[in-house]
Amino acid sequence: MKKVLYLIIYIAFNLASCQQAYNLPTSFQEQEEQANIYPDYRDVTIPANIAPLNFLVKDSLGGDFVVELRGEKGEALIAGSTDGSIQMDTTAWRTLLKENRGKQITVSVFAQHNDGWVKYKTHTLTVAEEDIDPYLSYRLIEPGFELYRQLGLYQRNLTNWDVHTIYENNRVFNNEDNHCINCHNYQNYSTERMLFHIRANHGGTVFVDGDKAEKIIIKDSLILTSGVYPTWHPERNWVVFSTNKTGQTFHLYSDERIEVIDEGSDLLLYDADKDEVSHILHTTEAMETFPCWAPDGKSLYYCSAETPFIKMLNDSLPKHEADSISAMWYIGNWDSLRYDIKRMAFDEKTRTFGEPEMVVNASAQHHSVSVPRISPDGRYILYTQGDYGQFHIWHKSSDLWVKDLQNDSCYALKEANSEDVDSYHTWSSNGRWIVFSSRRMDGNYTRPHIAYFGKNGQAHKAFCLPQEDPMHNVLLLKSYNVPELTKDAVRVSEETLRNTIYNTEGKKATYK
Amino acid sequence: MSVKKNQKNSVRSTGNKPSAPKHINEANGTKQRPNSSTSPKKTLLNRLPLLPIPIVSFLLIWWWAGIWQGDVFRMIRENSFFAFDQLLMQYETCKPYGMLWSAGRGLLMLFRYPILGGALLSLMLTLSCWLLGYAMRLSARWRWIQWLPLCIYTGIITYQGLNNYYEAETGMTLGIPTAILSILIVWGIIIRSFSKKDSPAMVRLPKDETRKDNYLQLAVVALIGVLPAVVFGNVYRSYVRPIASMQISVMEQDWNKVIKTAEENAEESYRPLAAQYAMALVQTGEIGDRLFNIRLDYDTLYIKGLNGEAHNALNMYQMECDFHAGLLQTAYHHAMESMAMEGPTLRNLKMLCKTCILRSEWEAAEKYLTILDRVPFEGDFVEKYRAMLHDVEAVNNDPEFAVVRELEPIHDNFENRFIQPVFLGYTSALGEGRSMSALKNSLMVNIYTKTMPQFLMRCQALVGQNPPINIGQAMALMSSKYPEVQKSFPNLSYYIPELQNFLNETNQYIQARPGITEEEKAQLLKMGITPSGKDTLISSENRALHARELFPRYKGYYPYYYFFGNLKATKKKDTKESSNAGVN
Repeated sequence: MKKVLYLIIYIAFNLASCQQAYNLPTSFQEQEEQANIYPDYRDVTIPANIAPLNFLVKDSLGGDFVVELRGEKGEALIAGSTDGSIQMDTTAWRTLLKENRGKQITVSVFAQHNDGWVKYKTHTLTVAEEDIDPYLSYRLIEPGFELYRQLGLYQRNLTNWDVHTIYENNRVFNNEDNHCINCHNYQNYSTERMLFHIRANHGGTVFVDGDKAEKIIIKDSLILTSGVYPTWHPERNWVVFSTNKTGQTFHLYSDERIEVIDEGSDLLLYDADKDEVSHILHTTEAMETFPCWAPDGKSLYYCSAETPFIKMLNDSLPKHEADSISAMWYIGNWDSLRYDIKRMAFDEKTRTFGEPEMVVNASAQHHSVSVPRISPDGRYILYTQGDYGQFHIWHKSSDLWVKDLQNDSCYALKEANSEDVDSYHTWSSNGRWIVFSSRRMDGNYTRPHIAYFGKNGQAHKAFCLPQEDPMHNVLLLKSYNVPELTKDAVRVSEETLRNTIYNTEGKKATYK
Repeated sequence: MSVKKNQKNSVRSTGNKPSAPKHINEANGTKQRPNSSTSPKKTLLNRLPLLPIPIVSFLLIWWWAGIWQGDVFRMIRENSFFAFDQLLMQYETCKPYGMLWSAGRGLLMLFRYPILGGALLSLMLTLSCWLLGYAMRLSARWRWIQWLPLCIYTGIITYQGLNNYYEAETGMTLGIPTAILSILIVWGIIIRSFSKKDSPAMVRLPKDETRKDNYLQLAVVALIGVLPAVVFGNVYRSYVRPIASMQISVMEQDWNKVIKTAEENAEESYRPLAAQYAMALVQTGEIGDRLFNIRLDYDTLYIKGLNGEAHNALNMYQMECDFHAGLLQTAYHHAMESMAMEGPTLRNLKMLCKTCILRSEWEAAEKYLTILDRVPFEGDFVEKYRAMLHDVEAVNNDPEFAVVRELEPIHDNFENRFIQPVFLGYTSALGEGRSMSALKNSLMVNIYTKTMPQFLMRCQALVGQNPPINIGQAMALMSSKYPEVQKSFPNLSYYIPELQNFLNETNQYIQARPGITEEEKAQLLKMGITPSGKDTLISSENRALHARELFPRYKGYYPYYYFFGNLKATKKKDTKESSNAGVN
């Protein structure tokens, strides 16, 4: 009797643990169109080290689904499901991609309808020669307007499904502990040095060095607010921040939802070794923001908008009157304020910056650009172009553009862009991949999209960050913010960060 | 004689003296006291039948939770969320006791049908109490103690009122009873395993209880558990059930029921109640005729925000008011803020979904519908709105949406440029409307906020038309100051005699008058108005003192509202803004 019981348990265990084997249908009707799959992974170029591109077949007539991925080399991968959710075996996927690096994989989707199997027109996955950096950091937050509650910084291992929590704020509302986290940034694709800001309670900027963390307060009466958008010098322990006086307002009847408007911004240089901060640019005739070091550390790129009217106000009126009028001016000119990309040479020995020079004169074309990011080889500037303003993550007109610094040509990355928001972006350390935030899936929630950046300077069709459950992007009620690629995993523990944030007052940077 | 003596002992045994004879039940070893079946004396108590108290308790609490408080529990559910999906529940499960609160939220879903939810809650409470008695090995005499937790529960739920679901952890409502029941089950099992103690009867009539024991338990359940909850609720939380009922009716688009409930509670003056009423009137097109049928003075609610401080309850109706004012983006904004602060709830998800459908944001609407489809008992909502996806005609033909469509702005603007809350600020400042309804609503906001210059400017658009009653009354009132109004609207003469009568009758209450008594001073303070001086009762104070007594007579009459209504608003500003804001 016991033996029978053990046998039943053994069989049940095996049935539960083994994946069902699927066979390709032998007879089927061929369809002329490709399968409607979610996320859209059709005809994309992917890195060989990416996790399986699991997807959902959207076919209400289908009862059973079988998918075959066949490369030029190796065994085909066959997966299936009864609800359209195709979740592939990770080992088989890795083997398939490894064997087909630089080649194409053909994907055939079969669905069983009432009158038999159908086979949709195949699509392809092109496996690039170059890998992507394996770690992607991001912030998860509701695509909210003003308020925040539970948010956190996370790091996803792109080669599998592992997600590591870098830091989460307090999970339960608490007047004394509520705080926001933003603007995480790394030095040169390494997690050896990273930083992020804490706003509201426990505020400051957390600097991480290896597995140690320290809170710094970058504030001074001469600084507009505190450090905001950062860029870490590629080698030295120096960070350039913009400091922005930011406000926001909400549309009543528009395709857009929010306008985030700066009412002043400057650039700061923070020396993390000496805890010293100084102004790089401190002007009223222009607003400077989104700084970015060139990969060689010899020049600094940033966005700038001319505001001669504000300078005139400040020159002719007492400060409080000028501030009051300028606040109204900014909100009244929200759709005509335009940013260009400029550059200043930097002398590392003297720590001095040269005169600003125009790099992308977008305002002359009635466009506005933001978030310049320089490719690791220094040849391309990847930026976001929209119709106005600088906070393009809320502008449907925003697209990814590049400027080729070798021939001064500027062009949109048409294959990678969508009709919706395509904004905040980052390069991989080998310059062959870009990751950016896009609202293309539902117009509301940003999801990281990955695109191959070819040697010819053109991007390929972008694909959404793969998830184990293809429904993840539907069910997740948060946006992915500020995607940043790194070559290694974050070393500092969440506990260390929590201790630093909660239990230290923070060292005040000296203003020089 | 001996029988009589025995009876005497039996009666005494229900008192505190421990000398009462006790009998040992040889079968199970439990102590039993003689019940009245052995006593022939026919006192009133002895004539009553023994009752199975657990069954009675179950029925009473079922009535209380399923019918009396049914709408309140339903609204707790609507401000909650549960799905069998780890990702969707993450907002909840990452909190301390998150799993417990999630379980509570799961059970709360049964309150989609309050009778069903009430049965479950009643079963849980009754079972918990019964198990408590068993676990504590309470003798029949002390068994009334086991029902005290039930009384505490009904007391807390009643005392909390709207706080049960206003920015609250809704998982606690059933989560705590679940935890207690689970502990008691384990405790009961342990006791049963070791002591072999028999459990007292649950369904059968109790064999070990005297009638006094039996009715003492009944008294505890009925007179401490249910009756005070009902009485306290009716006296000190009288607004809770009407507001919850109206919120449900708004969700179900039963506008007539909203109006009926509001007008039945016309003297109850609370902002959430007035807001639901106004939404219903907008939907039925009667706002110009009936808005002032309820008192609009806004008494203080017992309500707390996330930080535990007194709150103005704006979040209870803000997104719905935005929506019914045609401000879809603002409704989306506030629904999203609600989701950020409280996590997903059925209420904010439904609002997000509806605004996306009206804005033809099909993918986003599909996302919210997919999520709602995973919530138990939300199939009807999902089916109704999924049918509208990609079908603009179906959207425009929906009765609720059709009214909202007519009120949508024509031009873009920024929320921040209007007086808050935006649904009032924008509507009162409407420059150009999509329909006559939009104009009439705007005029109504003007007369509600008593911004008469703006009202008179907009009135020009109604020349040649028969204005709604309240607008006509307001025009007539203004015509005494601005005679040209009557030239533009000759029909106003219809309102003039009534106005003259009103002014004659109320003139003494409208004017300032010398002298203020201590009694009047106290009354004003009670109303939230700080008297301005000792010797003179200024005009608004004089009006405030008489507003309430005049209301039944002038209910629905705009000049009454103009002079006597909503006086506190001009004295005190009670809007509280969150400091937890930033750029995201």
